[in-house]
Amino acid sequence: MIVEESKTEKKKNLKPYVEVKDLVTQFFTSRGIVKALDKVSFSVYPGEIYGLVGESGCGKSVTSTSVMDLIPDPPGRIISGEIYIDGFNIIADLNKMARIKIKSETDVRIRRYKKAIKRHNNVLSKIRGDKIAMIFQEPFLALNPTMTIGDQIMEVIMLHNISSISNSILRRENISSGEVRNFITEFYSINDETQKRKEVNNFAASYAIQEFEESILSLLATSDDKQYIENEILNMVRENRTGMNIQNIREIKGYFDLQNDIFQNTLRLLQAERNGDSSAIKQFNSELSKLKRIEASSFFLLRLKLKFAYKYVMKEYRKEARRRTLELLTLVNIAGPEVVIDSYPHELSGGMQQRAMIAMSLASNPRMLIADEPTTALDVTTQAQILEIIKDLNKLIGMAVLFITHDLAVIAETCNRVGVMYAGNIVEESSTIEIFNDPKHPYTVGLMSSVPRADKKREKEIKLETIPGTVPNLITPPSGCRFHPRCKFAMDICSLKKPKLVEISERHKVACFLYSDESEVE
Amino acid sequence: MELKYYIIRRLLVLIPTIIGLLLLTFILLRAIPVNDLIANYVNQKATPAEKALEKQQAITLLGLGQPLPVQFFTYLTDVANGNLGNMYSAYYNGGVLRGIELFLPVTLEIAIFTVIFSVLISIPLGTFIGSRPNSVSDSVGRVFSLIFYAMPIFWLALMLQYAFGKNLLFLGSYGLPINGQGFPIQQVGFVHNHTGYSYSVPTHMLFIDAVLNLDFPLAVVAFEHLILPVLTLSMTVLAGLLRFIRAGMVDTSNQEYIKTARAKGVPEKLVLKRHIRKNALLPSVTVIGLLVAGLLGGAVVVEDIFQITGLGRLSLAAITGTSGNGANIQFFGVAGTVLFFGLILMLTNLIVDIVYAFLDPRIRY
Ligand SMILES: Nc1ncnc2c1ncn2[C@@H]1O[C@H](COP(=O)(O)OP(=O)(O)O)[C@@H](O)[C@H]1O
Ligand code: SF4
Ligand SMILES: [Mg+2]
Repeated sequence: MIVEESKTEKKKNLKPYVEVKDLVTQFFTSRGIVKALDKVSFSVYPGEIYGLVGESGCGKSVTSTSVMDLIPDPPGRIISGEIYIDGFNIIADLNKMARIKIKSETDVRIRRYKKAIKRHNNVLSKIRGDKIAMIFQEPFLALNPTMTIGDQIMEVIMLHNISSISNSILRRENISSGEVRNFITEFYSINDETQKRKEVNNFAASYAIQEFEESILSLLATSDDKQYIENEILNMVRENRTGMNIQNIREIKGYFDLQNDIFQNTLRLLQAERNGDSSAIKQFNSELSKLKRIEASSFFLLRLKLKFAYKYVMKEYRKEARRRTLELLTLVNIAGPEVVIDSYPHELSGGMQQRAMIAMSLASNPRMLIADEPTTALDVTTQAQILEIIKDLNKLIGMAVLFITHDLAVIAETCNRVGVMYAGNIVEESSTIEIFNDPKHPYTVGLMSSVPRADKKREKEIKLETIPGTVPNLITPPSGCRFHPRCKFAMDICSLKKPKLVEISERHKVACFLYSDESEVE
Repeated sequence: MELKYYIIRRLLVLIPTIIGLLLLTFILLRAIPVNDLIANYVNQKATPAEKALEKQQAITLLGLGQPLPVQFFTYLTDVANGNLGNMYSAYYNGGVLRGIELFLPVTLEIAIFTVIFSVLISIPLGTFIGSRPNSVSDSVGRVFSLIFYAMPIFWLALMLQYAFGKNLLFLGSYGLPINGQGFPIQQVGFVHNHTGYSYSVPTHMLFIDAVLNLDFPLAVVAFEHLILPVLTLSMTVLAGLLRFIRAGMVDTSNQEYIKTARAKGVPEKLVLKRHIRKNALLPSVTVIGLLVAGLLGGAVVVEDIFQITGLGRLSLAAITGTSGNGANIQFFGVAGTVLFFGLILMLTNLIVDIVYAFLDPRIRY
């Protein structure tokens, strides 16, 4: 049942979508500093499912939360490292945001710089949910109890997809006979029934006229007169135009496009600042202030109107967002989306809640999903269904997934590649097949033999070989290789130095002195 | 529709609660020796023999000779018929129900303004300090709210009088009124004099009536008289609410769904407004009901200090009631005012629960 290594990943020159390098995250508690992550590095490539597996408490959630830069502060902070999301290092400004003075384990002074943090949060809020989305272990706790499912999903759409909604509405209001004719020709050139349906669906969606989908279908089925159909469709759409001022929508679209420009420019400016490229800094700075001037001068009134007068325009946007929400709910196999959209989280089962979470994470078409133990809190059948949905999404829209679990069976079923975590380190990384068939790191070996496996013969006779000892306390982690107190093969060097994660064969990395020599230490 | 049945159910529950309240008051008051209860009915200058006779007559007249359960039942029936008895005191003589009708609105006016003022201040302040825990503003807010929460209300009232009162320490004649003097109400058309007690129409709340009758100069005077009492009562209510809202904000900020909101890319400002604040404020609604209880207790003290002719002072007069025969507790006065204090409290809590059920989708009626 082990998943094939994804084909895209095999192309060596592919750029990772998310790249984490030497990530160190710590928590400053009254009992001492929890060294939760100790130089974690891994990459997730477009279109693959990367699994992160390890005992509970080894730092999987801290890793995923760090990737979103959502570590709660206090008590935690990302101390150092690099996290590239789609090529942009989101934590390059760590030192500008805070200075940390460690006087002793329990006395750590952190000075935070509000302005830098605010700027950082502004940038990050455009990346989170847009480029990368996240779902959690306990969907019930992760959903806002006093907002309907629909409102929570629509919130994402209204945050990240305003421009595309504007486009659909504009296209609907300006629909021309040529466009309709093209669609009809296209429709009749298709023979397959489901394909036909899909064509109508696409047409309706791109003009934000989904409510006419059925009528258009029946019209196409009952009549042969293309001219008549064309006129009917045009009338249908035109008669139902909201009578909204196109100018208003253009204006709103312009405003949000400008916002986007400002954001892109801010990113470029940040990049230039990091590179120390003074001429680029100057250029982007002046461009940014130009854009901001435009915002202040041309859109001052609009912003007031958006707040107070444009309720009716926004209603149209919300209507379109609601349509998209219904589609998303259908996409994740929620039965009765029209009911669920207006339900509150507590009215749904755990499986439904997790589906809603997935729908929410898909709302902005992110290219990557982080799933932190998405099935752990669910019963077995629901678990399988949720896994199926995630796998389908990965296949269908090529969404990359960082899949976190402590369950090796789930890993085997879902992931292309796996990173094995132990006490804040990734100790081994390889394709799923290799991890299961040829584990190298003593911890991985122990982990593999601690699960009963269906493909091993006479498994009942094999005594489960559990790893002796317990997960170390991360306030005072073992020196050198953090696994050494529990390792059967521990050597002298193991407690002195930390082994580096090195490639021992093609795309198989291990951090263990059994496979590398002493020179490869951190 | 469910809401309707919920309200009906809650109203039905009020009946046994009220009977319980009356029973408790009845037992406590009947623990007082009969001699003290009927002292008012006896002429102090009479000879001992006459006194004994008068006492006997009073006991028969009031039914005090009957078994206690029968007496209680008689009282209950009277209450059910709207007859709360009479009271005699230096402050008010006459029917208890009439007294309550005259004086309750004054207390209500103070209570309403107190609740409005406290809520209006504590929500923004509480969300502000709660959104930045352990900051300087948070520490200051917490210290102050603790001080005011713990402060005895009579002391606070006196201090406020000294600080802002007319012709006291600082403000001289610019100060605020500290007692009932200075109302030019005798010339005002909508204020009636009734057997020595002035009251305004239609609501019996002077400020509101003044506004309703478009008499703004009087409204200003009435408002001035409200400021210090309302401020006094507000400080404790506000302090309690502030602490609760702050705690709610901190607690909600740590919830998993706030992390979700951030992961969705909701900007910080909106996370605070849309996700944290709403969920943090919900439980505070229930606390308002509890605080009203404290407020009513405070009203007795505040009305006494500021010489406001409200229900608090009426109940105080009923307890210490004098009618030329020395201090005598007034059974009907005490029982009647306690009943109304209880009613206000119960109704407030009912309203609070309904509002809460309305706001929180998780509550089922
Ligand atoms: N908010 C926190 N405060 C202190 N320590 C924390 C916090 N969150 C996580 N940790 C510590 O980080 C380590 C890793 O935790 P986590 O990533 O949640 O493990 P898991 O692999 O089970 O998801 C644990 O030792 C935990 O105690
Ligand atoms: S480095 Fe040493 S202690 Fe660590 S796993 Fe390898 S052999 Fe064991
Ligand atoms: Mg976890």
